[in-house]
Amino acid sequence: MAEACLVNLWVNEDRYDRLNKLGMAGVARDMLAGMKVLQLQCSAEQKDKMLELYPVAKWDSATTGSIELLPAEAKDKLFDLVVKRKKLDIVEEFLKCAA
Amino acid sequence: MEYIGHGGKEIVERVIASPAEAKERIKGLKSVAVSGRIARECIDIAYGFFTPLEGFMGRDDVGEVCKTMALSDGTLWSMPIVFDIAAREIKEKDIKVGETILLLYQGGPLAILEVGGIFDYDRTEMARSVLGTNDVKHPGVKMFNGLEDSFIGGKITLVNTPRFNPPFDRFWYTPRQMREKFAEKGWSRVVAHQTRNVPHSGHEWLMKGAWFSANGELPVEKLQTGILVSCIIGPKRVGDYIDEAIALGQQALHEAEYFRDDVHMVSIALWDMRYAGPKEAVFHAILRENMGCTHHMFGRDHAGVGTYYDPYDAHRIFDRIPEGSLNIKPVRILAWWYCPVCGEVTYSGLCGHSKEKQDFSGSMIRSMVQDKVKPTKLIFRPEVFDTLMESADEYGFGSPFCTEEYLSKRQPVFELPLL
Repeated sequence: MAEACLVNLWVNEDRYDRLNKLGMAGVARDMLAGMKVLQLQCSAEQKDKMLELYPVAKWDSATTGSIELLPAEAKDKLFDLVVKRKKLDIVEEFLKCAA
Repeated sequence: MEYIGHGGKEIVERVIASPAEAKERIKGLKSVAVSGRIARECIDIAYGFFTPLEGFMGRDDVGEVCKTMALSDGTLWSMPIVFDIAAREIKEKDIKVGETILLLYQGGPLAILEVGGIFDYDRTEMARSVLGTNDVKHPGVKMFNGLEDSFIGGKITLVNTPRFNPPFDRFWYTPRQMREKFAEKGWSRVVAHQTRNVPHSGHEWLMKGAWFSANGELPVEKLQTGILVSCIIGPKRVGDYIDEAIALGQQALHEAEYFRDDVHMVSIALWDMRYAGPKEAVFHAILRENMGCTHHMFGRDHAGVGTYYDPYDAHRIFDRIPEGSLNIKPVRILAWWYCPVCGEVTYSGLCGHSKEKQDFSGSMIRSMVQDKVKPTKLIFRPEVFDTLMESADEYGFGSPFCTEEYLSKRQPVFELPLL
């Protein structure tokens, strides 16, 4: 059952400062009454690879349609890659590096 | 007070409360060490959570449950409750039908089992009939596949009263105690909320919505309807919320008065989830019927996992249950979401802003906390967040989520006093 999904990177103060310095604060989406999030698109194939690499993660198919509970180090690496490449389309590169 | 449970049977406690009598009863018995799941189920059986079961199922009951979702006497029942044991151990210990054996847990005596039958059963078939799949990725399939190759059916009697450690001790009530508590509170209706989560506002509103539904036509000057939060305590995986945070987080909603004291109560129940979706929903209804509840709230994807079940299979199964076979009413509820147009957490069955809505879930909130982001007040009450962090310090070795350290060093939920 192949479905695309999102990875949510929630933006705390440190992350917001780093994005702001690069002029990227605008890419964070406002969510849930005052929170900021970077939403990374994952194809169905990328989602499967991500779940294979991180078995503790969960695809929340019932409610949010997002991959949740990725380990903190994976989330940090994803965020670092967003900052390095100055774009959100980094999942493929992340998976290649992580494999 | 009447203590009538599922199937119209009286809730009977099968517990030897006197240590002297217990010592006498277990003298000279062959002993078998049991797993955490079996220990939890012994306690459930002995206190009547699984009424009308008085013990682990025999072959006939297992067969009927798998084939027809009923016990062999026709009582509705959806989940095999089995005592699995290696055939090798039965042979080595020469365990025979008709004798009584002692069950040990954590090295101490827990219960006696009157061996009523010894049998084999196809575990693959058991999994398929209950879960609707044999996919080894399904956690319930893993559990069934992990059962030993033989089964013993027979009555259980506790010989040792489990002592619950803090903070669980204040949330532990047996079915009989639960009914006494409800009577004390003046509740004529009680709606159960089953949870394995620290509550976010979506959960809070699910409970509030269920309360409205259960209260229905009753007068409102003196409220007679209560919400029973029933936190499932069972095996944990790395990354799950720690059990202590779940129970205390639910209680934080009560203490911070998001619920009135006279309409809300937090409890724990021992159960190893099978993630059987619809069939597990029926089992949860039976469990809460035995706990004295009159209604049970079922949200989206109740007891489901992955994409094995449609999100509303656990609602629809109640349409197929014969009238009179279940003495608890399902309260079916859709999801609550955050709507930026309404500016509130609102019910998907009422809010028309489906394009603008923002879904959130327990897993999403856990991800936020992992990202070191404090969720907004509207979706996660600050008192609950503070409790979560306090629980991390007090019980979780610094983490609100299960870590390897927590799983290996945590204080047990309950212990058995020395006999």
